[in-house]
Amino acid sequence: MSLQALSGLKVVEWSEFVSGPYCGKLLADLGADVIKVERPSFGDRARRCGPFPEGIPHLEKSGLFLYLNTNKLGVTLNVESASGAQLLKELIKQADILVQNNPPRYLDELELDYEHLKNVSPRLLMTSIAPFGQTGPYRDYKSCNLISFHTSGIAFVNPSDGVDDTEAKPPLQGPEHQAGLLAGLSAAIGTMSAVFAQQMTGLGQHVDLSEQEALASITRRELAVYAVEGMGWTRLKGSQPGMASDIYQCSDGRVYLICFHDRTWESWLEVMGNPEWAYSELFLDIATRRENWDAAKVMIEEFTREHTVDEILRATEPRRIPCKPVNTAKQLVESELLAERDFFAEVGHKEAGNVKFPGAPCKLSETPWSVQRPAPLLGEHNEEVYCGRLGYTRQDLVRLRAGGVI
Amino acid sequence: MSTGGGTQNTVQKLPLEGIRVIDFTAVWAGPHVTQWLAVMGAEVIKIESRLRPDMIRAYWNLQSTGHSINSEFAEFNYGKKGCTLNMTQPRAREIVRELVGISDVVTENFGGAVMDRWGLGYAELAAIKPDIIMYAGSGFGRTGPYKEFPAFAGIAEAFAGLCHLNGYPGGDPRPMATFGYADVTSAEHGALAILAALHHREETGEGQYIDLSMTEVVSSLLFQPIMDYTMNGRVQGRQGNRDSVMAPHSCYRCRGDDEWVAIAVSSDEEWRSFCDAMGNPAWTGDERFRDALGRWRNQDELDALIGDWTRNHAHYEVAEMLQRVGVMAGPSLKMEEVIQDRHLRERGFHLDVDQPGLGTWCLAALPWRLSDVPPGNYEHAPELGEHNEYVFGELLSMSAEEIARLEEEQVIY
Repeated sequence: MSLQALSGLKVVEWSEFVSGPYCGKLLADLGADVIKVERPSFGDRARRCGPFPEGIPHLEKSGLFLYLNTNKLGVTLNVESASGAQLLKELIKQADILVQNNPPRYLDELELDYEHLKNVSPRLLMTSIAPFGQTGPYRDYKSCNLISFHTSGIAFVNPSDGVDDTEAKPPLQGPEHQAGLLAGLSAAIGTMSAVFAQQMTGLGQHVDLSEQEALASITRRELAVYAVEGMGWTRLKGSQPGMASDIYQCSDGRVYLICFHDRTWESWLEVMGNPEWAYSELFLDIATRRENWDAAKVMIEEFTREHTVDEILRATEPRRIPCKPVNTAKQLVESELLAERDFFAEVGHKEAGNVKFPGAPCKLSETPWSVQRPAPLLGEHNEEVYCGRLGYTRQDLVRLRAGGVI
Repeated sequence: MSTGGGTQNTVQKLPLEGIRVIDFTAVWAGPHVTQWLAVMGAEVIKIESRLRPDMIRAYWNLQSTGHSINSEFAEFNYGKKGCTLNMTQPRAREIVRELVGISDVVTENFGGAVMDRWGLGYAELAAIKPDIIMYAGSGFGRTGPYKEFPAFAGIAEAFAGLCHLNGYPGGDPRPMATFGYADVTSAEHGALAILAALHHREETGEGQYIDLSMTEVVSSLLFQPIMDYTMNGRVQGRQGNRDSVMAPHSCYRCRGDDEWVAIAVSSDEEWRSFCDAMGNPAWTGDERFRDALGRWRNQDELDALIGDWTRNHAHYEVAEMLQRVGVMAGPSLKMEEVIQDRHLRERGFHLDVDQPGLGTWCLAALPWRLSDVPPGNYEHAPELGEHNEYVFGELLSMSAEEIARLEEEQVIY
């Protein structure tokens, strides 16, 4: 097996659910050696989350867990016991990086926070992911996808095409798990930057990732325009300056169509057969179109409703009018484009069987993404890691298990 | 890049110091990639032209200031250097080849194979500098049936299934908030890929080509509904502020103007604490709300009752009350509130960037905090061609005469 991009980097991942595991996955999928530490018997709480095959919960068949934990070795460890904490430290001493997403106060209580761990391993690069980071007034706040989206400001401007009645249509969270994924992704970047920092100094580092900030970063355009130009941005229709791009109903689905700018507007008029209404002075140039866009939308949709998604695509693609279908998961999985791009991966798992899910998020030419091993069974690599790497015997493992340490 | 020895001084250098990036990206997704690299200390040289400046420069109030920068441009381009090269001229492309020879990374996000047409595709660049890392961001990838299409975040999001999952229950699919969800998520995957490629190059001396499709990035983030389909043939829909498991779990109206608070309860224990915080109104004793399943099934009524309570309070107030007793809650922040939020302020998420001639602008930092590294390179965003003298005079050692000639010939233009 040829070298992968992050071959040689050793990671201990002491995290669960979405954000920490996604950070660990990103590193593992790029070739880092990642040992995932889970609670004995209970494991990562993601194991209790669907989707499950046929909707039947099973600790080893959670779709959420299976995707987020590819390429990792899995061990069980009760970190709250003194012996467990000791074992964790031994694992850390052999690693370059620790990724964790436990509540900050929990780490303080266990004396496993960065201040303590850096004494165990001065070279340690520790990435801590928390809803509001490791410092500040909200440090100990509890959170989830909903809270992260709302406290980041994204919810307040969602949906981006605006609503008529802000009382009836509250600010909107994004789809499930997106907040945790963003946090994990930003954490992976931070982790890699710490690797680079260490090359210069040999020193350890604490990477402090706040999920709220990871999401707030997405609203930077809105924040800048508000802070500097004083232009308020809300989800009320008409308050959003910028591109008027829209979703239109077709006879058999929907398309997302951007036909607003001069060049694309003219081409789009061609597609619609140059209807008279479009030549009204209401729509003559970009400024008046912006003002009267709601009216234009109604007329455009009268047209699209008479056509299939396919017909609209066949008319817009050769004219380079930005237009694509509003797909569901089904259409995505059946997409010819994604098949041609070899986007999906199918991985065999001991308990769950063959599982199909997204493959590489992007393509690296020399060190391509690959699944070397599926997500681990609970405690699957206890022997390989505790005996093989830390030098314990099998009898030791029996004792540790009996003592509730692993 | 050897270790600095045994001293325990705080590091003064940034992690990517010494890395040079030749940056052809424009608009949002591409510049956000190189923004991460710039903040981490890489020297990012943004290549534009007077014929074709980054289109974001043309938004907002340009005429009145006489500068080529507005807040939106600054928000995506601080920390970078800017130079102008008229790429329609063969001499300009030669100059780019010289720059590549002294650089580590080349980035682009053109709508189509523009770099290839300029004779600056990966094969050509690798011939100049074998360990070059080239990043190509696009809407649908640099191979495949849509490789010539320009990228738009909304389009990528629609295709990838995000719009279908975004919106109010019982309502239509809606475009995702802000104009940047696909842009920022793609940019971060791009930055991560570049860092991984740089790491690999450190170890092996080998460069490579990174082909990033925005649609694929967003699709990969939607693995869960995808797997619900591949495992069970189930097509998930829109949940709004609700959740597949937790209840109550929604956004509730507060006292102020368009003011809301988000609340989520995930256990019986949290439910009891929540009821206590509300002062145990009689309705909380209702049979239907006694357990998690009951609360989930009777959410509509539960939400209405909770809303009656939250309406009497401010959003920050509710959040603090509930967090104090261990219940997940947070104010739904408006843009101005994000800027004023005391937690984000204390964390240093908001920056004061001095834009010469324009004033001090409040811009958003990156979610990047390392303990023993300076906060980051948050230098002002460059005016069009601001660093021509540095790039051509210093880096390429051109004489003042030569630069003047090239400006006259509209090569440096």
